[in-house]
Amino acid sequence: MSNLNSIQYFIPELFLTAAILVLIIVDLVLKDRKGHIIAYLTAASAIIAGILAYQQFNLPAASLFQGMIVVDSFAIFFKILAAFSTAIIVFISLDSFGDKAEYNILLLIVTLGMFLMPAVNDILMIIIAMEIVGLMSYVLAGFHKKDLKSTEAALKYMIYGAASTGIMAFGFSLIYGLTGHTNLYDIQTALVNGHANPVAMFVAFMMILGGLGYKIAMVPFHFWVPDVYEGAPTPVTAFLSVGPKAAGFALFIRFLVTVIAHPTYGSFGSFTQNVQIQAPLLLAVLAVLTMTLGNFSALNQKNIKRMLGYSAIAHVGYMVMALVVLNNDAFGAVMFYMIVYLFMNFGAFWVVESFASKLGGEEIENYKGLGYRDPFTAVSMAIFMFSLTGLPPFAGFIGKVYLFSAVIKQGWYILALIGVLNSVVSLFYYLSVVKSMFLRQEDENVPIQSSLYHKVLVVIFVVPTLLLGVYWQPIINFTTHSIGIFFGK
Amino acid sequence: MEANQILFIAIALLTVLSAAMVAFSNKLIHSAFALLATFTGFAMLYVYLSADFLAVTQIVVYVGGILILILFGVLMTHKIYSTTKKTAHNSLIVSLLGGILSAGLILFIISKAPWAPLLAKGFNPTTAIIGKEILTGYLLPFEIISVLLLGALIGAIYIARAEDK
Amino acid sequence: MVGFYTVLLFIFTGAFLVSFTVALSRFFAPTKQYPEKLIPYECGDLPQGDAWIQFNNRFYIVALIFLIFDVEVMFLFPWAVVFNDMGLLAFVEMFIFIVVLLVGYAYVWVKGDLDWIKPKPRLEHLAKGKGE
Repeated sequence: MSNLNSIQYFIPELFLTAAILVLIIVDLVLKDRKGHIIAYLTAASAIIAGILAYQQFNLPAASLFQGMIVVDSFAIFFKILAAFSTAIIVFISLDSFGDKAEYNILLLIVTLGMFLMPAVNDILMIIIAMEIVGLMSYVLAGFHKKDLKSTEAALKYMIYGAASTGIMAFGFSLIYGLTGHTNLYDIQTALVNGHANPVAMFVAFMMILGGLGYKIAMVPFHFWVPDVYEGAPTPVTAFLSVGPKAAGFALFIRFLVTVIAHPTYGSFGSFTQNVQIQAPLLLAVLAVLTMTLGNFSALNQKNIKRMLGYSAIAHVGYMVMALVVLNNDAFGAVMFYMIVYLFMNFGAFWVVESFASKLGGEEIENYKGLGYRDPFTAVSMAIFMFSLTGLPPFAGFIGKVYLFSAVIKQGWYILALIGVLNSVVSLFYYLSVVKSMFLRQEDENVPIQSSLYHKVLVVIFVVPTLLLGVYWQPIINFTTHSIGIFFGK
Repeated sequence: MEANQILFIAIALLTVLSAAMVAFSNKLIHSAFALLATFTGFAMLYVYLSADFLAVTQIVVYVGGILILILFGVLMTHKIYSTTKKTAHNSLIVSLLGGILSAGLILFIISKAPWAPLLAKGFNPTTAIIGKEILTGYLLPFEIISVLLLGALIGAIYIARAEDK
Repeated sequence: MVGFYTVLLFIFTGAFLVSFTVALSRFFAPTKQYPEKLIPYECGDLPQGDAWIQFNNRFYIVALIFLIFDVEVMFLFPWAVVFNDMGLLAFVEMFIFIVVLLVGYAYVWVKGDLDWIKPKPRLEHLAKGKGE
């Protein structure tokens, strides 16, 4: 579609861009009198952009700006997820960063990047969209300038990120050299019709995994996660573990079904590799490594943010496991899991964020006796922990059921078995938090008064975690409708 | 043609050797200045690839901008005389092996893979083509880059600012 | 490509001239070194402290701002080459690009990152004492 015609389908992103510019100007005009206005405006812009994206849901899928990006239901689903997670994060960080204009503006720019990432249809746009999200995330991770840990987190995140982007760009250059195209659909056509060298394709795939795997924190590109998750401000950690990761998964899936595979003829919703490079097997090995390493490293953690960081690696392992089978069932399961993960993970991080000062730290030890000091929060935290483990009747269980059934249906039994065993291992460290809260007491149990704001947010996270565990059909219907991936230029 | 090849080898040597100096020099400032030669060498290699605009960009942005920034960064270092770079030599064999392996793999791919046919042979000026493309086919990346630069500006300034006012 | 040979010739000539003259003076000049001659020249006074002082952070910030707009300028070149052929469309597209970055410029300006105020002298207590 030509540039001028594309604009009418590009309204959510245009709105976000305009909102970014307006927010900067508002910040400059109001100077010190702004209070939390910028934060509220950021949340409002994110939500409006999400609604604008949702309005495109029933439009026919198309490619925009001469094949640079596409608009299809798959992209729209992740756009809504991105907008929602940004809005939530603004409220989670209202206490710490509500009056910091730069924080909220950067958050909105990340949102723009997350709107572009699921929709990319060109190698150039992949790099630009990932760089928007990446660069702003580096700054956000180091937003506590005076805190050495936060600065170190930003530095590590940035240096590893730059290296992985460089490797990914090299991989893309190989693919461009092999096919002579930058458009993903053209690459797919060229690969299906041509005879690319499997070794070259495999090396290119590995290199690109360096960049994509870094964004979603997959082993062996996970090494930044513990330090960054611990050092970065808690709201930023929560954001990084959900928002950019979801967008990264969307990009990953789109990359898999265009550059690595193409729709199988005559069988709806499944994909065949363009060049026989054993991509599923490679992904299966990486998934096993990711979840095992994440879970076993989480066992010995004393700091709850670090523990959640390692557990986030493990959850990436479960989701990569579903990508192995390359069909729509699995993609739907990943999308559903992303929604569930958003609520339970944000919930856990919100409790960590709002109770860090009240409990005097972010060590698991600090949570001792919380069940007697603030039963409401402790029970909610326990629900998040059980749900993250994947115990019924919580939402995490349903998410895992869909993930595992997608894998088992295609006959990857050993992979599913390793996944189940890993979930059992994860029970130990999630329960250690619960144990610390309920089974151990301090000498005197001073009740903790939590604000109404804290309680309302906890309820917002707890209710979906409980509800999706017993009544998940509408969400599954929504995700199944959303797997319309557009192929074309 | 023969002279051209000698020139190419000279440029490649300049690039690789100065890059090695960046990596192995123990003085921060020496590394920074060796980077100047690396960047310039890259610009010359771009000319060989018929990417004249990219070569000039390399000089203007990398040599004229990023290198200056790196030098400022070096100059702002505390106790510059006692600060030495520590290049880890303890894993020399592993890194050497890894480097040789990946270089061999890339060489193998470069020689064996069926590359897409060349779009154009010989040296053609590219600036006008790039100008036309960023205004038509690649309009979206071009406009999005302005937002990326805006974000980078705000983020970098926020991090670099001395004190919150 | 021919233009770049000129550039190469220029680089070679420059490198040759500089190294030639330096070598020439090295060859002809008498070398008598004594400790006083080896100290840095600071207008005849004895040098005080290190020659390597820590830079003011503001230089760095200005360099950062310069870098961003340097990249922007690199996009202006190819645009300027085709501007005559593309007409109004090219103008509008570049206008949007510049406006977005102009907001960034406004940001650094209003926030005072371009100001070059000297730090306030810490003599306020003296001035106060005098007044009372």
